[in-house]
Amino acid sequence: MWSLDVLAYGVVHIGLVMYAIFGGADFGGGIWTALAWGPRAREQRSDLFHAIGPVWETNHVWLIFVVVTLFTAFPKGFAALFTTLLVPLVLALVGINFRGAAFAFRNFGKEKAGGQIPFMVSTFAVASMLTPCFLGISLTATATGKILWVNDRVLAEPWFWVEPFTLMGGAIAVASCAYLTPIFMTVRSTGKLREDFRGQGMVAGLLLGILTALEVPVAMAAAPLFAARLLSRQGIPFVAVSGILGVTTLVLLWKRRFLWAQLAAAGAVAMTITGFAAAMFPDLLIGQLTLAAAAAPRATLRAFLLVVVSGILVLAPSLLFLYRTFRGEPNPQIPP
Amino acid sequence: MDYLLSARALMGISLGFHILYATIGVGLPLMLMLAEGMSLRTKDELYHQLARSWVRPAGLLFAIGAVSGTILSFELGLLWPRFMALSGPLIGLPFSMEGFAFFIEAIFLALYSYGEQRLSRKILFFCTIPLTLAAAASAVFVISANAWMNTPAGFRMLNGTVTEVYPWLAFANPAWAHEAVHATLAAYVATGFAMAGVYAAAQLRGETSASNKRAVTLALAVASVALPLMLVSGDWSAKTLAVQQKPKLAAMEALFTTAKGAPLFLGGWPDPASRQVRYAIRIPKLLSFMLYRDPDALVEGLDAFPPGTTPDPRLVHPFFDLMVASFFIMLGAAGWFWWLRWYRRERAPGKWPLRALLFASPFGMIALESGWLVTEFGRQPWIARGQMLVTQGVTTQAGVTPVLFTFLALYLVLSAGLLKLLLQPASKGKAAATIPGDQHVEP
Repeated sequence: MWSLDVLAYGVVHIGLVMYAIFGGADFGGGIWTALAWGPRAREQRSDLFHAIGPVWETNHVWLIFVVVTLFTAFPKGFAALFTTLLVPLVLALVGINFRGAAFAFRNFGKEKAGGQIPFMVSTFAVASMLTPCFLGISLTATATGKILWVNDRVLAEPWFWVEPFTLMGGAIAVASCAYLTPIFMTVRSTGKLREDFRGQGMVAGLLLGILTALEVPVAMAAAPLFAARLLSRQGIPFVAVSGILGVTTLVLLWKRRFLWAQLAAAGAVAMTITGFAAAMFPDLLIGQLTLAAAAAPRATLRAFLLVVVSGILVLAPSLLFLYRTFRGEPNPQIPP
Repeated sequence: MDYLLSARALMGISLGFHILYATIGVGLPLMLMLAEGMSLRTKDELYHQLARSWVRPAGLLFAIGAVSGTILSFELGLLWPRFMALSGPLIGLPFSMEGFAFFIEAIFLALYSYGEQRLSRKILFFCTIPLTLAAAASAVFVISANAWMNTPAGFRMLNGTVTEVYPWLAFANPAWAHEAVHATLAAYVATGFAMAGVYAAAQLRGETSASNKRAVTLALAVASVALPLMLVSGDWSAKTLAVQQKPKLAAMEALFTTAKGAPLFLGGWPDPASRQVRYAIRIPKLLSFMLYRDPDALVEGLDAFPPGTTPDPRLVHPFFDLMVASFFIMLGAAGWFWWLRWYRRERAPGKWPLRALLFASPFGMIALESGWLVTEFGRQPWIARGQMLVTQGVTTQAGVTPVLFTFLALYLVLSAGLLKLLLQPASKGKAAATIPGDQHVEP
């Protein structure tokens, strides 16, 4: 069970969860920057921006971490994914570009007269939704069973990734981002602003719950093997925990227990991804390419895991220092 | 457009773009560390203010570096999946290590940039130390992957598949040491000259504040310490190439025919048809002497290797010359500046030395980019030398050309926006510094 390839799969999974939680909150920030409404829209945007600033870059390194882990530990799977999913992955990259541009240009051009957000920036913020959407689509596409592995070569129809099941996957990814950000913001704001974020979090939570629940019957029709595993003993515990955490988050938000709501929301998203990963197990491309078959030689996996463990020993205290330093209300002080 | 060419062009443009930001990402942290360290040591606030004034451009450039780095990691798979399937287990390790180094860099840059209200001055300075170390380490790690493409090691090829993998041998492949040292030093030189140029320009515009002068001195000092070391590491690189990568060396020096007492060609245009180097200055026997300290030593030319396995000297020799020429331009400008400072004890060099500095300031980046082009064009036609051709590594997906144009458009938009912002920062930076608590002026 705990073979080297499974451990490496665990590393991919941790990277993905971290990216979903932290990077996701950033994309959510982009989405709500664009969607902010009501009398305090401007303060909402400002708070979002200041909260994201210090952690923006770190949050995005998780994606590089996932990609690098994939090609180091599962080179065949990496090559297969990046060959067949060229179009959605390029679109996701375009979104990352827009997000980076929106962030950097906003950060730089901000003292401009203190007026509205430049049109370019809000356009970029909306366009950055491309990234979670197409990464969600790409991830879900590995569960369709339509990426075939025949005679050590990968085959797929050109537009196989456009179907209700994968599109729903993209929508769930976008909704997760929109869900996490306002909930994270509730512990970083006060007063009416906090109430705004609370409301946004509850709306997004309901939407996310509905989408995720709907995805199960869609999967049963479109990705039967995935659905069967998800609803078997290997997947159902995670589905249940994720559902419970989702409901708990809503209750906690209702009762204004924001600190706990933040943890429950992150847990709900983490468990959704874990449920997905559990249902994929032991495959990288469901029903076609197993983790073991896609994995790099043992010597590489061993060296890689050594690097990861030593890296985490340095990274974990640094990350804690970072998030501790910038916890609480965002500091409107900008760097000079 | 044929899709192999599209893939190569896209990879080349993405890397060439990323290298600019990555270089500043390596060089600027050292400047921050030195300035903050000087400020603590001498209790001179000017150095601290100087360092803080770099925070905003650093944040912008690092953000673009992170985005372009993400794009590159995707492009490895989108453009070269067959190469990655072969080499992932071997070059994945340095990429993973670089990933962690980059994490540390991002974390401590954020702490330094946004932490002024929350951290003490000492802690701020301490944040610049892991920042500088991680920045240099990330360069040293990722260059291992590039070096592996030039001198693949740590495995055995059996019927087209990789066996007997030794990832640590692959990591410490033969070309790694000299490439890593040469390129990391180059990053310090390039950043130092670029920054010295910015402040020299400011002084020429009449902004002769003490902090501007100090900035020129500090940036140029860093560059000037690294510059002579470039000559040493360059000499080491050339001698190592003469053992490990002979075709690349022959292309660099435009040496078509194997010869005892090989000449050195300065400049000129290598013409493969006639096997002549046109318009070049030819110095007899110098190449043999430089490589082997023996004017009559045998140097293998491009004709010593089977046709179709050697790089095109027209893409390698001119860039090599450009790199070397850039070195001398920088050496001249820096030498003049220090000569005035030390031997003639002029506290403020006049207009002409500053103009020389301004002229020399882009040549660090030019040298770095051309050195990189020499390495990459000099490796052709291989993607992993002797093991896999570039044509064998490219994706089987034919839709690469529209991807190329999509990204070209994106890069154009980004660069235009970036230039617009960078060309107007001076007054803005000051405005921000004088309004410490600009609570809610912004949208």
